[in-house]
Amino acid sequence: MIERVLIANRGEIAVRILRACRALGLGAVVAYSEADRESLAAQLADEAICIGPADAKRSYLSPSAIISAAVVTGCDAIHPGYGFLAEDAGFAEAVTAHGLTFVGPSAQVLERFASKEATRRLLAAHGLPTIPGSEGLLADDGHAIAEAARIGYPVLIKPSAGGGGTGMRMVRTRRELEAALRVCRSEARAAFGDDSLYLEKWLEDNRHVEIQVVVDRYGHGVHLGDRDCSVQRRHQKLVEEAPTPALGPADRAELAERAIRAVVAAGYENIGTLEFLVDRDGRFYFIEINCRIQVEHPVTEALTGIDLVATQLRIAAGEPLGFSQADVGFAGHAVELRITAEDPAHEFRPQAGTVERLLVPGGPGIRFDSHLYAGYEVPPYYDSLLGKLVAWGPDRPSAIARARVALDELQVTGVITNRAFLRALVGHEAFVGGHVTTNLIDRVGSASFLAAASRA
Amino acid sequence: MPHDADPGRAPADLGREPGDRPRDPAARLRDHAAIERLAEDLVPALTAKLGASGLGELEIREGGWRVRLRLPAEAHATARRPSAPARPGAAGGSSRLVQPAPAAPAGPAAATRPPAVPDRAVSVQAAPQPAPGGHEHAGHRAVAVSPAVGFYRPRTGLTPGAKVRAGDRLGVVDVLGIPHDVVAPIDGLLGAALVEPGDPVEYGQEIVMVERLDLTVAAAGPVRATPDVPAAPPIAAPGGATR
Repeated sequence: MIERVLIANRGEIAVRILRACRALGLGAVVAYSEADRESLAAQLADEAICIGPADAKRSYLSPSAIISAAVVTGCDAIHPGYGFLAEDAGFAEAVTAHGLTFVGPSAQVLERFASKEATRRLLAAHGLPTIPGSEGLLADDGHAIAEAARIGYPVLIKPSAGGGGTGMRMVRTRRELEAALRVCRSEARAAFGDDSLYLEKWLEDNRHVEIQVVVDRYGHGVHLGDRDCSVQRRHQKLVEEAPTPALGPADRAELAERAIRAVVAAGYENIGTLEFLVDRDGRFYFIEINCRIQVEHPVTEALTGIDLVATQLRIAAGEPLGFSQADVGFAGHAVELRITAEDPAHEFRPQAGTVERLLVPGGPGIRFDSHLYAGYEVPPYYDSLLGKLVAWGPDRPSAIARARVALDELQVTGVITNRAFLRALVGHEAFVGGHVTTNLIDRVGSASFLAAASRA
Repeated sequence: MPHDADPGRAPADLGREPGDRPRDPAARLRDHAAIERLAEDLVPALTAKLGASGLGELEIREGGWRVRLRLPAEAHATARRPSAPARPGAAGGSSRLVQPAPAAPAGPAAATRPPAVPDRAVSVQAAPQPAPGGHEHAGHRAVAVSPAVGFYRPRTGLTPGAKVRAGDRLGVVDVLGIPHDVVAPIDGLLGAALVEPGDPVEYGQEIVMVERLDLTVAAAGPVRATPDVPAAPPIAAPGGATR
């Protein structure tokens, strides 16, 4: 049973979780840092409680501050959102130890899937193909060089902990590898407190396709189809869509079915996402699992009509899933555009400032998940996501057309955003034609998109 | 310091009246002794009482002396405001965490002192100074704030009026069984508690007032011709904060 949820996150996802709580009739308390006192989530909440200063280490990343806030406000569950402590097994365990429900996989499950390298081996044992990569974590530079030679260049250096592109580098030569290892280690240490790395073979012109899974505590799981997140800039997703244009219906169904079979067999629970790379021949390779709600979950919601955050809460409360694979339908096509406070003209430098004017797009199939309001001050301390514009249509061309219209309608002044860049991107022939690969933006170059944007 | 422009603020003032005459040396000595006692004992105690009472103004009569302390209007309003602003649509929001402090009983200690000083009206206010840490309240007081989210426990035996030094532990906030100190932001006297023992508190929440000790009281004052008549004209209290 869950009656009152502490939302231990910020930005658009805090608002999203709050709405799911409300829809389920649950109380919703927002834990905020001093920098987020005026946030939309704090304003909408039944109750809002300041847990620490702007510095995330002392607020959104502080297990004791968050758990104490839940105790103090009489909550019986904590929703971690994404990022911050969302996949921290130690945090999940501490939450449970204080008699509270962690909205996510149990600590044991998070622990089992904590290491990407171990997870690859675990799921490979349950039938998922994986990308050729290093045997275990990299012990030292010598080990890395030897493993890279065995796998064959180019290789991708990846941190074992964390995600979001931090600490990741693609290298084509031994010389590049040697230089990048140091950088990746220090980035990984700074971001995740863990500098262990591993190597993966880099697939040229690959696409990023992921499968959404939903598994209750009783081992009953279904997949909610795939999402394509190939539009990335430096490993940061910019545009997501479902279904993927890279695979036909039969291949998509096979990928999703193999994914759900493997995670249920491996003992996964709650909602999660299995990420795959798909090469130009349509072969897929498992790369990692995300044990949390994901930024791009609305595209799946648009196709299935299933509220993923509500489902997450119900599973955490111990409810059985209540539906089977045959009950899940997939209608139409959806595209999500991540609106960020970044200046595309200046290396996507993060921006802060006060939103002076905000015009939110609407119309059939349009959803805008955002914490923005006119007068809101975008703080400089956290990630730059301002909102997610989701466009649904009965087919891909109509979804893209609606996305274009919505992007044209969206107006945010006072803070520089990437809106014009996204607008250029969804008009680009590679995107419209469904040929986007993860290296598109870096290959074509931001400048070319920007030039298109300035002409538009 | 937005309060600097407050027209209601008066500097330390011994109410020199037009037409006041110099006094003989013996009387002046007695005055000085009395003023010293006033500055050292009575005024600090009264300041603490004023802080603890939640009142905007306090006047004590003692023999021929009358001591009146008045908070600047804005400071008084600030003192009663919870640290987190109320949120629209947030019924029972974080302001739930802030309990109104109980009014302290009027301080009999100062009022029952034997009459030892001649008739005089004194109006005293502290000089504004920035406080090192805590929240500043119009210069004459600062407030100790919560270092964490948890339940507040005041230090036992520490009552309003007690002398404290900056950094002294005034109580703790219990965070999942681990105490985090609430410390005095300035040297001074413990003033009003803004939360009750056992109350849940959030990070940065105002916990207890500390009244500044370094009051400026001029050491020379005039004799007033007519006893027991308001010496200084009543100081305007903009905003009507006095209740």
